Amino acid sequence: MSGVEGASGVSARGLVRTYGTRRALDGIDLDLGPGVTGLLGRNGAGKTTLMRCLSTDLEISDGELRVLDRSPERSTERTEIRRNMGYLPQNPSFYPHFTAFGLLDYMAVLKDLGGRRERHEEVRRALRRVDLYDRRHSRIRRLSGGMRQRLGLATALLGDPRLLLLDEPTVGLDPEQRIRFRDLVSELAVRSTVVLSTHQIEDVAALCRRVVCLDGGRIIFDGSPGELVDRARGRVWEQDTRPEEGVTSWRLADGRHRVLLPVGAPAPEPAPPGRVAVEPSLEDAYLLLTGAVGGGR
Amino acid sequence: MSWHLDQDQLHRYANHTADDVTAMSVEAHLTHCAHCRDRLPTDDAWLESSWADLRDIVDRPRLGPVERLLGVMGVREGTAKLLAATPALYRAWLIATVVVLIAALTLAHEVPRGTLLFSFTAPIVPLIGVALAYGRGVDPAHTLTSVTPWAGYPLLLMRTCAVLVPALLLCTVAAILMPSSATLYEAVFWLLPALAMVAGCLTLSRWMHLSLAGGIVAVGWVLTVGIMALEGVDPLLLFSSTAQGCWAIALTLLTVAIVLRVRTA
Repeated sequence: MSGVEGASGVSARGLVRTYGTRRALDGIDLDLGPGVTGLLGRNGAGKTTLMRCLSTDLEISDGELRVLDRSPERSTERTEIRRNMGYLPQNPSFYPHFTAFGLLDYMAVLKDLGGRRERHEEVRRALRRVDLYDRRHSRIRRLSGGMRQRLGLATALLGDPRLLLLDEPTVGLDPEQRIRFRDLVSELAVRSTVVLSTHQIEDVAALCRRVVCLDGGRIIFDGSPGELVDRARGRVWEQDTRPEEGVTSWRLADGRHRVLLPVGAPAPEPAPPGRVAVEPSLEDAYLLLTGAVGGGR
Repeated sequence: MSWHLDQDQLHRYANHTADDVTAMSVEAHLTHCAHCRDRLPTDDAWLESSWADLRDIVDRPRLGPVERLLGVMGVREGTAKLLAATPALYRAWLIATVVVLIAALTLAHEVPRGTLLFSFTAPIVPLIGVALAYGRGVDPAHTLTSVTPWAGYPLLLMRTCAVLVPALLLCTVAAILMPSSATLYEAVFWLLPALAMVAGCLTLSRWMHLSLAGGIVAVGWVLTVGIMALEGVDPLLLFSSTAQGCWAIALTLLTVAIVLRVRTA
């Protein structure tokens, strides 16, 4: 086996990826090791571009990138990376006339996963892990959206990868399946590096010991979920009245308003009626970090 | 069960050293006695391997006709799977190719100078097949397959072969059935331009999507034929012996470029 077997993680220095004149990634410095890292950011922040660069699907424009201790720019090393990596792209699509088993078997051939018997065993293992074994002979066109998402996840799990890149993996999964997914990813993360790009903050809160937030192709936060929440402490409260415009807020089920006070902004005086400071959630902290403005009037 | 096999009987049975009568007796007992079955020494690795074999035979998905045919032809099982999995568009292209060639044949036999349709269609039939066989925007599973060890030129070249073999066979059959086809040259005059254009498409795919590269080469061919016709130059000159020499040189150079690219990619 190659040296990749014992290697894990990602190392990026000054990573730049441009599309024409637009810099989708603008100087990313990142070191990732075993465990789950959550990648957060608004649409267009550069998450998917970063995932595609890490997956070797996109070439970088500038900087230095090493994946599993290999350089994606060299053909033989790129192949080694691909052999030891699982990638679930955003909105994966499949050959609809294939069966679930057939697709995974095809992907297993493309991943060089041994002879027929070993390959089929690996396919069955992946199908069981995503709870699709009973539907293994169903045509993909007959699978629901959630099942297809799980099938995509199964393709990423083939070959027990050392690096797992999951772009919006829980879209379309029901609550029960999401719990199974979290359980599975936690188990994999014991020995593998897992990067989870998502808008589902609760998945990040449940799974990740590290959060990286992107905005405009740059890293604006890199730390633990707890550190991100600490930044929001004292800046989240609930009150009876709707706050002034320009402040992130939303109406709660009980008719009160949850208000996020931007970093650096003074708390309004006198205090609005019923104002009570509350414990910030990871979502509050993320919204404050990205400066999202919603609700209001 | 009131009695059990002793260790010696079990040992001799497991090692195939028991005589026939004892072996049959032990076997009959084992069928009904779970206790003795558990004591029977087993080769766990062999047992697991046998179960895996059995599971695979029972649970193996049925092969499609193309995969079976390729297997019969001696193509390796994994390679046959990759070839047979070419997107559905490939099949649409194959059907369209047959329809176009039948139309060209009918025209050639029914209309004066009807063979011209075949002359200018045959060289781009394989090109269109290659352009449709693989690539982002054409292959629905491209986002999944593009980051596998096989992705890129290895898969592209394999699928190109899968397209070229039926395309060249069909075009050759059509050429032989043409009314004017009396010599070998008249049966294969389209071959070198066809291969050169496929090689051009593969070379261009280094900088752009394969389907776009195929489109550019195909449009270039059609424009060249059109401009020659408009300028009063006989487009059949594209198949003259001088032109065939040029196609051969172009094909050689482009093949070298592709080989270099594969080795240095």
